[in-house]
Amino acid sequence: MKLYSIPLLLFVFLTLGCAHSAPLASSQAPPPEPLQPGLSAVSSKAEEALPKSPVISAESDGADTGSKITTDSDVNIDYVEEGAAKEKPGIADPLEPFNRAMYHFNDKLYFWVLKPVAQGYNKVVPETARVSVSNFFSNLAFPIRFVNCLLQANFRGAATESGRFLVNTIWGIGGLFDPASSMDIKLLKQDEDFGQTLGVYGLGQGFYINWPIFGPSSPRDTVGMFGDLFLHPFSYLAMGRGTTTGIRAYDKVNASSLSIGDYESLKEAAIDPYVAIRDAYVQYRMKKINAGRKGSIVK
Amino acid sequence: MKRHISLLSISILLLLALPLYAGAPLDAVQASVNKVLDVLRDPKLKAASAKELKKEKLMPIYERMFDDVELARRSLARHWNAMDAAQRQEFVLLFRQVLEKAYIDKIFAYSNEKVIFDREIMVSGNQAEVQTRIVTSSKEIPLYYRVILKGGDWKVYDVVVENVSLAHNYRTQFNDILAKNNIEYLLETLRKKVKGQ
Repeated sequence: MKLYSIPLLLFVFLTLGCAHSAPLASSQAPPPEPLQPGLSAVSSKAEEALPKSPVISAESDGADTGSKITTDSDVNIDYVEEGAAKEKPGIADPLEPFNRAMYHFNDKLYFWVLKPVAQGYNKVVPETARVSVSNFFSNLAFPIRFVNCLLQANFRGAATESGRFLVNTIWGIGGLFDPASSMDIKLLKQDEDFGQTLGVYGLGQGFYINWPIFGPSSPRDTVGMFGDLFLHPFSYLAMGRGTTTGIRAYDKVNASSLSIGDYESLKEAAIDPYVAIRDAYVQYRMKKINAGRKGSIVK
Repeated sequence: MKRHISLLSISILLLLALPLYAGAPLDAVQASVNKVLDVLRDPKLKAASAKELKKEKLMPIYERMFDDVELARRSLARHWNAMDAAQRQEFVLLFRQVLEKAYIDKIFAYSNEKVIFDREIMVSGNQAEVQTRIVTSSKEIPLYYRVILKGGDWKVYDVVVENVSLAHNYRTQFNDILAKNNIEYLLETLRKKVKGQ
């Protein structure tokens, strides 16, 4: 494990400097500048094409807005940028050709391998059992969430996770069920990982990397992923690498079996699925880290 | 990541709601969502053959509750201003068709998931975020509606599923396309997509 992590760390710290977009600071600092040079060029062109004072008409379009698909009065109102405080997450993508190639690889992997396997598995195993399997794997990964709560100085989160682990291991029969999340106990999963911990401490995401198999990531989250490996019980069980990989693959198939169709509709709805997934990833991580900062007692 | 999609779709489902009374944003969204759920739960409409009928019932609800133009404007941001009225009209129409075709089956796949309304957060005098959760058999999905007060009604202009904003997601895609191409190219892309769906 060490063998992998050292060059990785080096790679990250060498590369972070050149494409750093510090989304974390966006709540205090002015919003980050557009990340792609091309973008800013276009938007400034658009601005030139506009009258300098955009129409900020009172948005009192008639009561018939709903009855027609569009009303002229509403369509005629220009877009006005809202408060500068509004966060505009984005990410640099210098590796776009590689990332797009990996997107196509992962796409094929899903449609040709993962989905057919998960569908077959779906037919054999009832949903309740699959949910239990997913609960079991999630319970097993408790050390990752617990330690990262501690690292983020989120003691409430750490206590919640310990409580969950105890309740679900004992009353949830080794983690097959999740009684801790029930209305009466209400200990909710604290979905913290090492990538978020680094983010909470101010490390920027860097740029976008779409790994084969593992999917959307960034240098920070890649380091996070390796860091979390050290906390996963699988790393300490006396099992061959083949067995571990097998179990992980099973975990993945089981998880996929619970969300068949999700990726399909994302792809269907997207104009450019690659960009849609990249943006969803960035927004998702950023909000998680912001939430992590709120949970931490160190501000 | 894949999880987001089901959330998105369920959210759009929840956008399809009946006429609102002008009240607090949360009440407005809740009333509409309940009406949508009524249509989806209606045993008479459960049959596969009732699909078209269900669609017919949901469409007017969607139109009253969801502000297509506001979503389009926010998704295009500055590029919206560079379009003329005819281009805007066409864009709104195409965008709406893309969303409808992508999510309608997901919406029909609704199977009694519970919707919990947590709170509303006023963003400004005429904008608010209504925070809800969808509880499925295996997980809980946070789903927020961003609403704007227009003509006495609270209208949804953005849906945030598990922290991913629909308008922002499309804005990134449109920005990416328009960084290299013109507006006509974007419209043509959308036309092709609608035809191919």
